[in-house]
Formats: sequence, C-alpha cells, structure tokens
Amino acid sequence: MNLYISRGDLTRWLDQLCRERILLAPVRVQELTLFQPVSKVEEITLDFGNTTLSPKGWFLPPTEALFSVQDNDGQSQLVSSIIEKDAVIFGLRPCDAKGIALMDGPFLREPSDTPYQERRARTSLIGLSCRQAQPECFCTSMGSAPNDSSHVDILLTEIENGYIAQVITKKGKALLPKALVKSEEALPSPPELQTVPVKEITLAVRELFNDPYWEQLADRCLHCNVCAYVCPTCYCFDMRDYSNKENLERVRSWDSCQSIGFSRIAGGYNPRTTKGARLRQRFAHKLLYFPEEFQQDIACVGCGRCIKSCPVNIDIRETMSDLKRLEVKGGS
Amino acid sequence: MVLKNPFIPYLATLKSAVDLTPDVKLLKVELKNPTERASFNYKPGQFALLSAFGEGEAPFGMVSLPQHGDGLEFAVRRIGTVTRALHELEPGDVLGVRGPFGNYFPLENYVGKNMVIIGGGIGMAPLRPVINQILEQRDDYQDLLIINGARTPQDLVFAPEFKTWMKTPRTKLELTVDRGNEQWGGRVALVPDVVKKLAPSPDNAITITCGPPIMIHYTLAVLRELGFKDNQIVTTLEAKMKCGLGKCARCNVGDKYVCQDGPVFTLAQISQFLEQP
Amino acid sequence: MDSELIQQIRNQARSLLESGEVKGIIGYERASDGLTARPFFAYEPAAVERLIFDETCTHNLTKYLLNKKTEKMAVVVKPCDSRTINLLLNEKQIRRDMVFVMGVACPGVVETSWNHKDGTLQARCKICQLVEPLVYDFLARHEAVERPQGEPYRDVQEMETKSVTERKDFWVEQFERCIRCYACRQVCPGCYCPECFVEQLDPLWVGIRIAPKENELWQIMRAFHLAGRCIGCDECEHVCPVNIPLSLLNHKLEKEVKELFDFQAGLNPEEQPPLTTFKKEERLGFEE
Repeated sequence: MNLYISRGDLTRWLDQLCRERILLAPVRVQELTLFQPVSKVEEITLDFGNTTLSPKGWFLPPTEALFSVQDNDGQSQLVSSIIEKDAVIFGLRPCDAKGIALMDGPFLREPSDTPYQERRARTSLIGLSCRQAQPECFCTSMGSAPNDSSHVDILLTEIENGYIAQVITKKGKALLPKALVKSEEALPSPPELQTVPVKEITLAVRELFNDPYWEQLADRCLHCNVCAYVCPTCYCFDMRDYSNKENLERVRSWDSCQSIGFSRIAGGYNPRTTKGARLRQRFAHKLLYFPEEFQQDIACVGCGRCIKSCPVNIDIRETMSDLKRLEVKGGS
Repeated sequence: MVLKNPFIPYLATLKSAVDLTPDVKLLKVELKNPTERASFNYKPGQFALLSAFGEGEAPFGMVSLPQHGDGLEFAVRRIGTVTRALHELEPGDVLGVRGPFGNYFPLENYVGKNMVIIGGGIGMAPLRPVINQILEQRDDYQDLLIINGARTPQDLVFAPEFKTWMKTPRTKLELTVDRGNEQWGGRVALVPDVVKKLAPSPDNAITITCGPPIMIHYTLAVLRELGFKDNQIVTTLEAKMKCGLGKCARCNVGDKYVCQDGPVFTLAQISQFLEQP
Repeated sequence: MDSELIQQIRNQARSLLESGEVKGIIGYERASDGLTARPFFAYEPAAVERLIFDETCTHNLTKYLLNKKTEKMAVVVKPCDSRTINLLLNEKQIRRDMVFVMGVACPGVVETSWNHKDGTLQARCKICQLVEPLVYDFLARHEAVERPQGEPYRDVQEMETKSVTERKDFWVEQFERCIRCYACRQVCPGCYCPECFVEQLDPLWVGIRIAPKENELWQIMRAFHLAGRCIGCDECEHVCPVNIPLSLLNHKLEKEVKELFDFQAGLNPEEQPPLTTFKKEERLGFEE
C-alpha cells in the first residue's frame, strides 16, 4: 500500500522524529553531502546524488569503544557502550540499504557482533529512491535498483508535489505519521543505468587469481584507505586499547587491507607484501570470498563511491570488465 | 534476550609466570568467574586472545590440557607491544581471556598412527599439549618422534619436559639448534635438514609441524620428498588477528579465516588455498 | 588538448621503450570518466598511444619512482613535479641515473574531480614561477606558456589576519571530517617513511582512533614533517575525499621556512632542507 506525503507533512514528520530519536540525514558540509545526526529539519538536504561517505558509519562507526574497563572498588568491570536513543536514517539510497543488508552477513552471524547488532535493531531505515543516476552508478548490475525497496522500512519516491511512501515493514509502518492518505499515483519509472558485465565474476576472479593483471593494476594504486572507507560494504577493522588516567577503553576503528602493515605480525613476517597482492585482496574479498562465504550477492552495490573518490581512478567496473575479458582470453 | 558482547574478555588472574627461555614465559592463568572457568572447554590446536589491558590483545595457542584442570597455560614470546605488556605482569595481576577459538588437532583421528611432531622455537608451544595428550594415552598411538629445534640451546622452550618425554616408551626426542654453545654437545643443524637425515617413514604416519614460516616452508618440502602425502602433513598457521570472530577480515588467507577455519590445516588444504600463507 | 605536445611525449616514450633504455614510462592516460586524467604505466612501445598530456594532468607522478627503484623508469613531470625530483635526489631516495625525466612545459592544470573539469586554473598554477621543469632529460614543449602572476601565500596571509581562536575553530571543524584514509600521505612523494609515525605503536604518537584530537595530531605532525620539504603540488588536498584544505597548512609552513631560512624546497638538488640539516654555526637561540 502506498501513501502520499506532502512536503509539509514530511517536514513535520522529520521534525517529530528528530526530537524523539537520533535522526541521521544527508547534510551539506563544505561542498560535500554527509550523513550526520540533525537537531533541526532545516539542516537536511535532499538535493544530492549520493553522500560522499556511506551510512555504514552509523552501524560500524569509524571509531567505537567495544567496552571500557571501570574500576569498582578495585574490581575491574567491563562495560559495553550503548546508544542512548533509537535511531532513524533518512534519505538512504537503495544501494546503501543493500550495503547494510550485506554487512549483516559477517556481523550478525554467530557470535553476533553485539555493538553492530544493537544499532541495527534500534535503527529504522527510510529510503529515498533515485530519480536520477550519477555517471558512476551501476546498481542495477549489482542486484539493486534506483527504486529497490528490498532493504528499507519505508521507501520514499519524490514526485512533483511531495512523496509517495511505500511501506515495506512493520517497523516502517509504526514510524509513519498517522493521518496519511493513500496514493493512487503510479510510481515514476527509475532512471536507466549502464550495465557492467558481472555474470560469474566470482569464477573469473578465482581463475585469474595468480594472473599478472593485479600487479599491473596496482602500479598506480596508492594503497590509501579511500576505497575501503567510502564503500558501503567494506568492513575490516582494527582493535587497540586506549587508556588515560580516568578510564581504559578497547576501541575498534576502520582499517583497510590496502595498508602494508595490515597482515604483518609482530615478529615482522608479512604474507602480503606486494602491491598487487594487497590490491587483489580487496577485489577478491568483495567479488569472490564474500559471496562464497555467505552464499550471497557479491559485496558491491554499484554506488560508485570508490570510482568517484579514488585518487587514481581505479574503477571497479573496469576491473570487472578486464577480468571477464581476460578470462575469455585465458589470462594476461 | 541480551546477547553477550563477544568482544568482552573473561577476566583472569595471572597465577604464575615462569621463564622458559630469555624471551619466552610460561603464563598460567585462571579465569576469575567459576562458571566461566568451568565452561572454558578447549582442545590442543585452539587458541585464545589474551588481553593486556591498556595495550591490546594477541592470539596464543593453548599449551595446557583441560583435563589437568589447573588453569590455562600459554607460552608467550616477547616480541611486540602486547607480549611485552604480558611479560610485565606479576602474579595476581588481572588480564583478559577470550576464546577458545579456532579448530583443533583431531587427535582422535590419529589413533593407531605413528606420530612425527616437528617444532621450531616458539612453534613448539601448540605442539606441547599434543605431545602431552599422546603421552597420556600412550597406547592409543604407535611410535612418537619429536624433532625440536631452536636458534640456540637457551631457546629450546620446553627443556624441563624433555626428560619426561624421553622416558616414555616408543618415543624418541631429537633436538637440534642453529647455533650451539660451549655446553651444547648435541646436534647443530637446521630442522628441515634434521628431518631429511632422520627420514621418518610416512607409513601409517601423521606429522604435525609448527615453527617460523621459513622453517615450515622447507620442512614441508622435505616431508613431501620423504613420501608423506599432503593429507598426512598437518600444521598450524599464524596470522595477524584482531577480532578472533571471523569479522574483521584481518586473518584472511585467501578465502579462509585463520581464526575460524584454522589455525590447524593439513597441507592438502593449504595447497588448495588461493593465497599462500 | 595540445596534440603536438602529446606527440612529442609519445615519440620520446616509444623510443625509450624500443631502445630498452627504460623499463617503463610513468605518464598519464585518460580516466574512465572520459574527461580527466589518471596515472598510466607503459611497458610496451604500443602502449604509448595511450599517453596524454593536458590541463587535467594534476597528479605528481614522481611518487611512483619510490616503488620502482630497482629498474630505470621514465617519468613525465610538470615544472612543479620536477622540484620533487630535486628533493628526492637530495634526500637520496632516487638515483639520477635510474630516472629518465620527461619534462613538460606545462601551461597549468585546472581543478578536476571525477567527471568534473572546471575551467579554473589550480591555485598552485596561479602562483607558479616556473615555465619549464628544473631538471629534465627531454623536454616536451609547444605553445608558449603564460600564466597569471598570482600572489604567493595570499591564502596564508588571509588566514593570518584571523585571531587565534578563529583559526583554531576553523581547523577543529576541518579535522572533524578527516577519516584517516591517508590518501594525503600516500599521494605525497615527500612521505616515504617505511613506517610512518602514525603507524608506530611504541611509542604511540597517534593511535588508531579516528577522532578529532587524533586527526589534528596526525595532520599537524605530517605538515611539520614536510616543512621545508613540501614543494606545493597540493596533491594532498586534491585527493582528500572530504575536502580538507590541507595545502593551506603546508603553505603556511613553507612561508615560515622561507622567512626564517630563505629556503624553498626542490629548487636545487644540492641544497638540503633546513629542518633536516644541522650546521655547527647555526644560531640556537641562547647565549646570544
């Protein structure tokens, strides 16, 4: 059942949400659009393609305390951190919603990652379908679509005088304001996107695992962490203790398989020293290990953020096409 | 239902810390909570993540046997920031334990076999409970050959246990060092060369190897030359680990997680790995 | 796009590869957006057809020389990039006989990002005093180069008029966005430490926390490590995914070094950066 929300209704609804819950929405910050908690509806911008950083940062924050050690009369107690209020992410694109659903694979399987799980359980997702595609978008090739409602609680689609709301889950229904009318309007068709050849890419990566292609592509890779950090489905993290006079925390932070020390052990041995091996790790993880491990779609939702932000234009679409082409050729 | 945060370690007390070599200590640790202590069931091959609170965590193979019931033992080599902090602990200090993680040596499958245990340096640590387990059920296994190497005689980690091992029936202990000293009257040779010289028979045998990557690399080659099939050759892999839960992806070797699918692997499995460890 | 200039580059590259004088050419090719440029490595003569040079060629390719030390490589450099060659030569990170410098008399590069090309000349080009690279083995040159004579350090001077509190608030806001992707460090040819201070755990200078205080420490310390060494290519700022104006920090320290030591990095391979040099006769500030 679809409902109609006028622009005025939307503002009032969001105003209510940001008072009752933590409301994360797209905000304009210095020529960028980023998901941030808002205290006033006016802070929200809906004039954006996609945000620079994905909303995965809410479920897996760049830095998070896993627990802190507190001294109670000489007895150490380990205390988990909690979020104070339920949350809503508003303005989430379907590709990003799919990204979150993919991250559930590693994080919710036994033993469940409780910090992630708690945020996931207490966060509702209000999606915003894309009326326009960006040059870097290719979600339809990756099992999503500009109007895909699969992984959100509510999906909003902008129309001329407001929004059509598709109510997807019970959680979404409970979130909506009461007095909304049904919408009889047909949903507008989504924009057309380029297609990228991904059929059986998993097999291609396996076949070409030891191909010189990776070392060649890695020539220009800087091995920074940009692609992993902007990506909605990259989730490697590091853990370390932080202590000061008051307290001690075990903290986890975003990390990336691209850094040279990622797999180095204390004695100095490093199984993954070459640039090609490190570059390959990221692609192999997303295109091969992840789908095989979780019997799911590959860990790429076609949002194009890596393409947009990579300083040296390593383009995953190009990589996938190259691999398919090389597979046919039998290698480099 | 409130699920337990899997990142929170069990609190434990350090019972004792004994110097085994100039840079290796045997830490005996007891979980504070009796319920946790009782439910911490582990097998040789598995590992735990020890927390030096304020520094961080690192993985250590279990070196004790659960049936001995007197705490968890770990052989810790001082090599980085966490191990240095663990070395600085005194008996009575609090540390954290998470685990047990990973798979284990399926010793029940090796019943009736000749066992060849090859350890180098600190790599002897995960093999010590295997040896002790075999000694406790001596009649379940055939011949036991232990080849133990180290850089110098001082670095032979479980020297105090050699007498016990040697006295056991159908058991041979062959020691070797890379560099001898004045008191050392024994063999001076690299472990792979010793394996080659001793030429253990692959008939009805299982071999378990653990040591520095380079030692394992050459030893596995020698074992293959001697006729051991890849599924007779077992090893335990070391990798940089953080979460121990198969989530942070740091211990990925190809599509395998050392913390979940390992650390125990046969050479047959490793040779199928996409990436070599 | 100046096709004559590109042809010169391609011909020289082809000849270097055919003769075997170099293992490969580090140059630019068209990016996947069909508009901007990206680094390109050519190892076969046929590949040189992909080489381009135009106003989107912003990257400082000299960084890649540090990955290719065992083989002789040719690298395409703009005048600004050539200052990095001098810096790396002085700091003994590259050998002169292992690099074939393909200089380009560059008319300046414009502001670009993915699929976006601005007509506006980049800030560094507006103040650039160099028409030709300072060091080269081959020079590609076509049209006469004319550039606006902008005021150097205008951005720094504007900031210097602000109060300390205003400046602090400005930077606190900027560093909040930093996600410690280290793209700034990875793209910078001056950042080549095998173990960066930020990765050191013992002593722990910064740590792994991605949070404002740690971000500040990271950025400011990196800027100081580049003081007197940064040649102002501003690539750190260009690659930052969250638009932090990093070049402003580097320009400030560049200005300070110029005023204190009358020194600018990369102009002369013989002259050592002042902050990495100790001279007995230096004034140390006491007993005088």
